This record gives sequence, structure tokens and C-alpha cells, in this order.
Amino acid sequence: MEWLNRNKVWVGTAALVLVAAYVFYFINGTIAVSMFSNAWFLAVPLVLGAMVGVIGERSGVVNIGIEGQMLVGAFAAFFAAAATQSIVVGVIAGALSGLAMGAFLAFTTVKGQLDQIIAGVVINIIATGITSFYFESGKTIPRGLPNFDVPLLSKIPLIGPVFFSDGPIALFALVIVFVIHVLLFKTKWGLRTRAVGEYPSAADTAGINVIALRLVNVSLAGILAGVAGTYLSMEATSSFERGMSSGRGFLALAILIFGAWRPMRALAAALFFGFMSATASQLQASDVVNIPQQFINLLPYVLTLVVLAAAAGRVRAPGAVGQPFVKGD
Amino acid sequence: MKAKPFLIAAPAALALALSGCGGSTGNTTSGGGNTASGDCSSADVFCVGLVTDTGTIDDKSFNQAAWEAVKSFEGSGATVKPIETKDPKDYANNIKQFTDQKYDAVVTVGFLMTEATRTAAEANPNTKFIGVDQFQESDVPNVTGLVFPEQNAGYAAGYLAGLMTKTNKIGVVLGQEIPPTQNYAKGYEQGSKAANPKVSVAKVYHPAGDNAFSDPAWGAGEAKKMLAQGADFIFGAGGGTGNGAIGEAAKASGAGESVYCIGVDLDQWNTVPEAQPCLVTSAEKKLTDGTKTLLDQVKDGSIKGGNFFGKTGLAPYHDFDSKIPADVKTKVDEVIKGLEDESIKVS
Repeated sequence: MEWLNRNKVWVGTAALVLVAAYVFYFINGTIAVSMFSNAWFLAVPLVLGAMVGVIGERSGVVNIGIEGQMLVGAFAAFFAAAATQSIVVGVIAGALSGLAMGAFLAFTTVKGQLDQIIAGVVINIIATGITSFYFESGKTIPRGLPNFDVPLLSKIPLIGPVFFSDGPIALFALVIVFVIHVLLFKTKWGLRTRAVGEYPSAADTAGINVIALRLVNVSLAGILAGVAGTYLSMEATSSFERGMSSGRGFLALAILIFGAWRPMRALAAALFFGFMSATASQLQASDVVNIPQQFINLLPYVLTLVVLAAAAGRVRAPGAVGQPFVKGD
Repeated sequence: MKAKPFLIAAPAALALALSGCGGSTGNTTSGGGNTASGDCSSADVFCVGLVTDTGTIDDKSFNQAAWEAVKSFEGSGATVKPIETKDPKDYANNIKQFTDQKYDAVVTVGFLMTEATRTAAEANPNTKFIGVDQFQESDVPNVTGLVFPEQNAGYAAGYLAGLMTKTNKIGVVLGQEIPPTQNYAKGYEQGSKAANPKVSVAKVYHPAGDNAFSDPAWGAGEAKKMLAQGADFIFGAGGGTGNGAIGEAAKASGAGESVYCIGVDLDQWNTVPEAQPCLVTSAEKKLTDGTKTLLDQVKDGSIKGGNFFGKTGLAPYHDFDSKIPADVKTKVDEVIKGLEDESIKVS
């Protein structure tokens, strides 16, 4: 009851959105399902990217290299799968390359105290360089990750076909949001992580190994970026294109702020953004309004800007974000 | 805070080194296996050089199609040689390698090389240049741009889709909204309506500029949405973005039975194998034929500067050959003929 009281704005908004979605569904089921599916399809890499940001910034490390980590993940997954003709190897390679990129950020910024923004930029430049230089056209993978229906859950009207008839990574993205939420706010690890991100010297005094925790968190978060990349090249499509992350890593950062550094709200923000994109292309394709498509396509960005402006001041980044921790400083 | 400058310097240097990797000058490859080192400055030896856009001569795309045309002259005793460009900065240098050796003709592949080609042509008035996909705004006497009327290819594809659609809904996923994609879309719409006035066409352009042609995930999402709304033909016309769309159609239930897709530019049966389950044909620019025709013209001296319009049409139906009704094929062939002799015009 107390929880409901504290979160009444969010619960109310969620309920309202849900009702609106079902009203839409009963007016025109086909279009509603197709648009919400499209929204989730576009939101998956944004959600995973935002989770990388949540873990990093909650630990006190800014990660603007999500874009590059994603791109390397997409590249490694696709070419490992193409070389071995095994999609399992591809997925593992995608996740491990993400881990490597995460570790790179962790060791340069946490151990080496390199400026976090510079490290992120370095990752993005390296990623573009490597994936363009070693790119080979004409490679194929046996098939992409298959879609499947989750028993029972996929039978729910609207929610079932949208969230529970997708590929494994989309399902993973949905689950990981709840897992990270619980870990961050209900476990010892979560408390320590938040302490390290808010006030590292206090955490240090309390006996937490700040450096080690940051190293582990930022490295492991990289896996999620690698998985997001794998989604792009092996689940959403079965191909790799140079620069195929197309700014999704940067969008994920906006979603992280939009979602106030909280996993569940970031999920909602990503869905909102996905839905705006779906609306834009739907208006374009159905030709109901006769305005240039460039203006329609501005819609998601303008709305995001409006919401971000409205949320400004009410959300606050973790206290120690961007500052390297030096014991005894 | 103790500064550790080497930790900044090391990754930064690494980044620079890697991003600079592309800067290596294009190597002449021995891909053609040509060892006949005839003296290109002599009038008796016909020498043709090809400079690729950033890509290789086995890229199953434009570069390869153009190279096949050039290579076909090897049989008649010509000296042919490709240079694969690694970095756009090297366009001019790579062209220069051929002009320095007094090659008779240089083929440059891709819209992006338009300026480099024109500049090189002005400096080397005795060499003939063929610019594949390079529209010439003004004439340089020794440059011929090989360009294609995309609207005709789109019209043929749309006509086929219009005849075959069962749901009367078809879709097209395009890259950035620029003249070539607009032409494809225009032709596709008009062709499908000519075949079947009841058809409605869903059409989307990629919103962003920079990655509009390399965002297959977005293309796949759009195709998925169109299919869910009942479209049974997806035409992917926008590089990697379009390839994502036809790849998604290939994964849909009923792909090849009730859901079909159409590729673009080249026969994508070979270039996008993941789309094979649904790929009935591709709206094709006949690049190899066009390049051959122009090289023949160089040989007999009849080539003119300006623009040369190559042929467009539909790629072979491959596995769908037996599934497409004979009368549909006949009608489509008639339309392609009509487009060629200009009795059908896309407005």
C-alpha cells in the first residue's frame, strides 16, 4: 500500500497506457498488434543499451561507448557465425566481444583513471575502424535466431503476440530489465553498487572495494551491449552492415536519462520511443496525412526532447558519475 | 589525482592507428590473373583499368558486375587490371596509376567517384572514362556516365507484384529519400496500379540521413509491420536497409507461398542469399551489359561524353520460375519491352 502511494504517478500512467493500448487493439487489432510489435522490435537494442548505461552509471562510470560496443558485438557475432556456420558460436562471440569492450572501458577508466568520456569516444572510433576494415561482403550465416511462442503467455491478447512471440534475445531483454531492477534495489550487490556510484569514499570507508566493484560491473555490463549487437545482426536481421548500430547506442543514453537511471522506467522510455518511430512510419506508409515524411520522422525526436525537457530537474544522475576513484584522495 | 598520461596516449594512439588502417593505398591486385604486360601506350594494345569504390571485385555487387564486363575483354587480347579502393581518399591516386601507364579506358565504379573521375578526365584528355552510376550534370568530352532509369526497373517489379498479389496490399522499404529511391518508388507504385488498380502501396523511406542505406534492423522492422498489416509483396530498395526488409520477409510464415519479396539493383538471389525463400526477382540495373557496350564503343571509337542510359529489367526468377504463372511472365515481358521502346512511360 505504501509502495502504491509512493509510485502512484507511475502506476497511474502505466495503467492509462495499458487501457489506451487495449482500446486501440479493440478498434483495429491488426494495426495495433503490428505497431506495438514494431515498437518492441525497435526497442530491444535500446533497452539492452540503456541497461549497460544503468549499470555503468549506477557504479559511477559514464559509458558513451555503448554504440561502439554494440557495433563490435554485431560484427563479432555475425562473422563468428559465418565462419563456423553455427549460430550458437555467433551468440557466444557477440557476448564475449561485448565483455572485452566492457573490460577495455573498465580497465582504462577505473584502473587507469583515463577520462571516461575520452575512453568512450576511443571505443566508438576503434569499433568503427575495426568493423569497417575487417568487413567482408558476401558472408552468410546459416539462419538468424528463430522466433518462438512462449507457452500460455503468447496467448494473451495484444501482449502475447507483441512480447512473447519473438526471438530469444528480445525475450532476454524483457527479463533482464526485471532482473536488474531487483538486483539493483533489493540485493546487497545493488546497495553496494549504488553506494559506489553515489559516494565512493563513504563506500570505501565502509569496507567496500570500490575499484573491484566498478571493474566487475562495467565489464559485465559490456556483455549486454554485445548481446544488443548480436540482436541487430542475428535476430532482427541475418546480416552485417558497416555502421549498422545506426546511433542506437547514443539513443540508449538518452533513454537512460529519460528513464531516470532506473531499469523499469528505461524500458518504458524505450517502448515509448519505439512506438513513436512506429507511428512515424505508419503515418508515412498509410499516406493519411499529406506532410513531408521528414517532418513525420522528426516526431519521435521532438517528443523525446519535449519529455526530456519536462523531466529535466526532476531527475538526477548518480553523484559520482564521471569521477575516477582514488583511494585516500 | 595522479595523471597517467600513457594511459591516455596508448588507447588514443591505438584508435588513430586503427581508424587510419583504411588509409593504406589501394593495392593493385592480381585478381584478373593478367600477366600480358602489353605496352598500353601503343595503339595496338587495348588496355582497360577498373577502379572500385571502397569494396572488392568479388563483392557480388556493383564492383563485381562492372569487373565482369571489363574482364570479358581479356579474351580478345586486351590488358585488363583492377584496383580495389580501400579509402575514398585514394580515388584520385588509384585512377592515376592507370592514366600514368596510358591506359585506353578507365572504368570507375560508383556515384561517389563522380568528381574524382571528372577531374582525372580533364587532366588526361586521351583516356576514355566510364563512370558507372555517375550522372553527368555537364559534359566532359571523355567521360561517359553509365546511368539507369530506376523508375523503369521499379515499374516492372511493381507490375509483377500487382499481378501476383492476393491481398491487394504491397509494400516498399526504401533508404534515404533521394532521386534514385524516389524513382524506384514511383515506378513501383505506377507499375502495380497499372497491373491491378485495386492495389494499395505502403511506402516508407528511412528517416535518418547518415545510415539510411545501412540500417537493416530498421528495414526488417518495417517489413514486419507491413506483413502484419496484410502486405504480401515487399520490395526492398535501399542498400542494406532494403536487404533487411527482404530478409525479414524471407523469415515470415508463408514465405515463398503467400509472401514474396523483390530485390534491387542486381540479381540479389546471389547477393542476399538469406532472402532466397521469398525472392521472386530483383529490379535490376543491367550493369555488366552497359559497361560492355560502352567499352565496345571505346574500342571502335564511337563513344560520346555525357550520359549513357543502360538497360533495366527484372533478374531471373530462379527457383520461382515454375511457380509464376506463364501468363504473368508474358505480361511482365511485354511491359519490360514497352518500357524499353518507351511506349510505356513512367511519369
